[in-house]
Amino acid sequence: MTVMNFVYGFIILLAAFIFQTTITGFNRKVTARIQKRYGPRWYQQFLDIFKALRKSSITHGWIFDFGVIMALGGIMATVIFIPVAGFEAFPNMDNVYIISYLLAIGMLGMAMSAAGSGNPWASIGVSRALTNMLAYDIPLMIVIFTLIFAFDTASVSEIAAMQQGMGILGWNAIRMPLGGIVAFIALFGMLGKKPFDSFIAPAEIASGPMVEYGGKHLGFMFILHELMTFIEVSLILNLFFGGGSSILVYAIKYAILYTLVNIISQVMPRYKIDQAVKFFYRVPLVFAIIQGLVVIFLGWGVSVWF
Amino acid sequence: MVLENQDNRNLWEKIGDYFSANSIWMKWYCTGCGAIELPPTMTSRFDMERLGMGPMATPRQADVMLITGYLSTKTLRRVIYSYEQMQDPKYIVAFGSCTINGGVYYDSYATINQLDKYIPVDLYIAGCMPRPEAVMNAFADLISMIKKGQANGWRHYQENYEWYKKNQLDSLEEVIIHDEFHE
Amino acid sequence: MTFITVLITLLALSVVTYLVSLINNKLGAYFTIVTSLVTLLLLFLLKNSIGQLASISLFTFKLTTVGWYFSMVMVVVYFTSAFLNPFWMKKMIYPAAYNLFYLVSLIGTIGMFFARDFITLFIFWETVVWTSTFIIQMGKSRKSSYVYYVVSAIGSMVTLFAMMLVYQVSGTLEISVAFNALTGQPVLALIVFFTFLLAGLSKIGIFPFHVWLPMAHGSAPHTFSPVLSGGLVKMGAFIAYISVSAFAAYEAFSSSFTIMGIPAPIYIIMVLGAISIVVGTVMAIRQDDAKKLLAYSSVANGGYILIGILLFDQLAFAGGMLHLVSHAIASATAFITIAIVAHRTGTTKMSKLGGMIHKMPITYTVYLIAIISMAGIPPMGGFVSKWLILQGLADHGLLFIAAAAFFGSIGSFMYVFRPLSAVFLGQLAPKHENVKEASIMMQIPMYLLTIATLLIGVFPKIILKVIAGIQAEAGIQEIVMVGNTIVVANGVLDTFRVFVVFGYGFLIALVIFILRRKSRRVTLMDTYTSAEFVHTPELLHYSSNFYAPFERLTKKPYPVLNLYEKVSIKIKEIGHMAESLFSSPKPAVTIFWIIIVFAIFFLGGVL
Ligand code: SF4
Repeated sequence: MTVMNFVYGFIILLAAFIFQTTITGFNRKVTARIQKRYGPRWYQQFLDIFKALRKSSITHGWIFDFGVIMALGGIMATVIFIPVAGFEAFPNMDNVYIISYLLAIGMLGMAMSAAGSGNPWASIGVSRALTNMLAYDIPLMIVIFTLIFAFDTASVSEIAAMQQGMGILGWNAIRMPLGGIVAFIALFGMLGKKPFDSFIAPAEIASGPMVEYGGKHLGFMFILHELMTFIEVSLILNLFFGGGSSILVYAIKYAILYTLVNIISQVMPRYKIDQAVKFFYRVPLVFAIIQGLVVIFLGWGVSVWF
Repeated sequence: MVLENQDNRNLWEKIGDYFSANSIWMKWYCTGCGAIELPPTMTSRFDMERLGMGPMATPRQADVMLITGYLSTKTLRRVIYSYEQMQDPKYIVAFGSCTINGGVYYDSYATINQLDKYIPVDLYIAGCMPRPEAVMNAFADLISMIKKGQANGWRHYQENYEWYKKNQLDSLEEVIIHDEFHE
Repeated sequence: MTFITVLITLLALSVVTYLVSLINNKLGAYFTIVTSLVTLLLLFLLKNSIGQLASISLFTFKLTTVGWYFSMVMVVVYFTSAFLNPFWMKKMIYPAAYNLFYLVSLIGTIGMFFARDFITLFIFWETVVWTSTFIIQMGKSRKSSYVYYVVSAIGSMVTLFAMMLVYQVSGTLEISVAFNALTGQPVLALIVFFTFLLAGLSKIGIFPFHVWLPMAHGSAPHTFSPVLSGGLVKMGAFIAYISVSAFAAYEAFSSSFTIMGIPAPIYIIMVLGAISIVVGTVMAIRQDDAKKLLAYSSVANGGYILIGILLFDQLAFAGGMLHLVSHAIASATAFITIAIVAHRTGTTKMSKLGGMIHKMPITYTVYLIAIISMAGIPPMGGFVSKWLILQGLADHGLLFIAAAAFFGSIGSFMYVFRPLSAVFLGQLAPKHENVKEASIMMQIPMYLLTIATLLIGVFPKIILKVIAGIQAEAGIQEIVMVGNTIVVANGVLDTFRVFVVFGYGFLIALVIFILRRKSRRVTLMDTYTSAEFVHTPELLHYSSNFYAPFERLTKKPYPVLNLYEKVSIKIKEIGHMAESLFSSPKPAVTIFWIIIVFAIFFLGGVL
């Protein structure tokens, strides 16, 4: 652990933020085009974030502030561990479990701060978000478990590297198609995209956990959301779609994956939260288990192409 | 009523105002008849997102409050309550003649006639009801006002808080009600 | 210093405590703290004499690393929760007896962990069961202590049967030798395995024996719940350990049908562990009483520990053993904080509380760190152990058990967050306006446990070294640490780095936060209500039916409990029948029946 590691970490943070915010802006335009609108400027998302940071804000006590800081801190730490096209700020720290559980500390911070505002809608939003997590995470974790069993490593960058060199046929999403489908569906849940966005439903529970945030707290939430999106999409990209051999390939693949998710989600209605749980336990969970059994007992997909 | 004052902002405030002007989140208070003009303003025909504007769920998050028509005294309390929950800088755009001088309800016992006696209005849109074109035009005006640092209603409200409070109390007796339904 | 001296010192101290408590019960309660501290120190000194054999009358002991490890966990939990005893003396019916039982059960656990023969094991085990039964009875309800006793008794009787069976075959009572006689007798080994394990399963609250936990934990005196959940439950893990180490279940069943390399009988028990993870999690999410919620979470975590220990390999075993410690500490902390809240407010019902953070910030922070560990989030102790277990499961490819483990770990976010939100966050009810923070005396155990949680999370090496010793003792591959990094076949984990990077992220966020304009403090009631005027904080506090959609999904009747209820009704009916037969108001009838019984008895003897 040298100073350079921390500098690299900061660079990754900054790059991830700028990149993802641009992609989000671009996707707002895509959304607008789907709805036959012209859409905002491509840098609109930056304007929104800086504007929010600029405004004055209120606080409901120390936990309201502390939770927000803890959330952003946890998420930033997770971003630093994400391997991007083989580049890691801290080598050997890209264990899949570290990433997915360190992500949870950010979420816990956010939930804490939201509930600390004393607003019932915030708590309802958090309870829905956690239930949603219980829904999408089990199938996804089972598929990831299968990957770890198959490749005998839990390192995200190693799993990504193993898929490269064979073009599209090397991707885990192609080698293990059911697992790929599960991961792709779970990505919707992770990102809180429709149809799994009932925990931030603005018209129903006044944007859930975000209800009391204004000013810099809201700005923090937006930054946090961008970084979280970066983590989640990167995780799925690295584990199932082969990561990227160079930064450029990585960025292009990332943009395509995220835009695809966004486009599909735009034409979806919204599940109630218990419907979401039922859906995840009915379709993706079964897929994940079948995929797991196929890999563990038959060994298909592990080395079937070579 | 546009509150004129000379431009004595420093560089940071100017940059801040640039951000504020280009990203306006709104909370629309659907009183009166005007709320129905907003869906076309938002959707594909006029698309206000081009201006960087979008709807937000709560007053804490919002920058601009749209008062879309006449206000009964009962709703005025809620408007004031919501306005005070918003974060600075905040703006108010009032729609229609009802908010300017009472419009067709000028002699009603239940509505107020002149909104800017109670809360500071940055921009009025005349008409009964203003069409989306007018609304879009007004938003463009609001943006240029913010950019120039002229949309200072919120500051005016802070500076003349007593005056506003007195007007509010004169009409409403108390803004936040305490009665058997609200205890 | 010999083990016997330690044992006798402790017994003497507990008698002194009892006598003092008879005169002044509060002073006696302070004596429990001192005695458990002395126990802790003496045990720590005993570390150097591992391998020592000791005996007194018919009891024989052997000092093993694993026994030392278990008893250290136990004593830490006893010691820290003893700090609460003085505050509860007024509420106890028999304070002196409470203090005595508290210490005797501690001695019982220590004796049991170091037992060398079955009789010692059994007698000390029963000492703990009996003393804790009497303590639980002093809490809210008597019924729960019956349930606790009945479940424990079933477990220990069946285990006694297993011990006698082994004795019959081998002719010796020594634990490490006796099981050897079973080699080559697969059917007998099978019977012994299941029956012997039963006491452990019932103690650790594995499905379907989990019913007693929420009842006993929920209604035990608040001071004893941390001990029950953090400590006594772990006795079951010790039995599980014996069944894989001394009993050598893997060798005994090596010829049997295997699933992913795990012999079927062991796999069945592991599946039970997995089921208890799921059941414990689902039930914990549904509870309204904070103590019951934590009790069900102990069921779920017991499942992890059991699975980890039963896998008996380099990875998952270390994880299970570490989880034992991290969960013991986290759960004791959580129970202590809830006990303090109950002490200050008089309730553990989450729907009646709220906003406690504004009155008890320290208690809140301690609870927060405990639940971060319990949910297995880095950088706390629970993460390391769960990581080891999950990596171990992935190594073996045990898909279904891993699925349950994932369910338990995501579900734990849900149930640990509920008390956090409903008790500590949210709106403060006016009736709790005058609630005070925990007193210094109560804060001491909280600080100690929190530091322990953090230490295990950041430097798991401290514990893993001991676990490596246990693994060496049991003859399996030891867990490897390079510096601060845990290195295993399919992954590496450097918790210190995780901690530092988290601190780095936190620092960046803090700097951005401070650089921006200071926020204005508003009251809790100044919150978005769709512009409606609400003046009642209770109405704005979201705490009952917290996970309503999830509860709706899992509302199905709960089959095991129904079954138990039916059986208990039947037993009661039989009891009533017997009672009506024997104790009728007419003495003639009673005598008639007694004669009949004696007649049958004698005839049976003749025939
Ligand atoms: S101005 Fe006209 S349209 Fe607007 S609220 Fe008044 S009456 Fe209705």
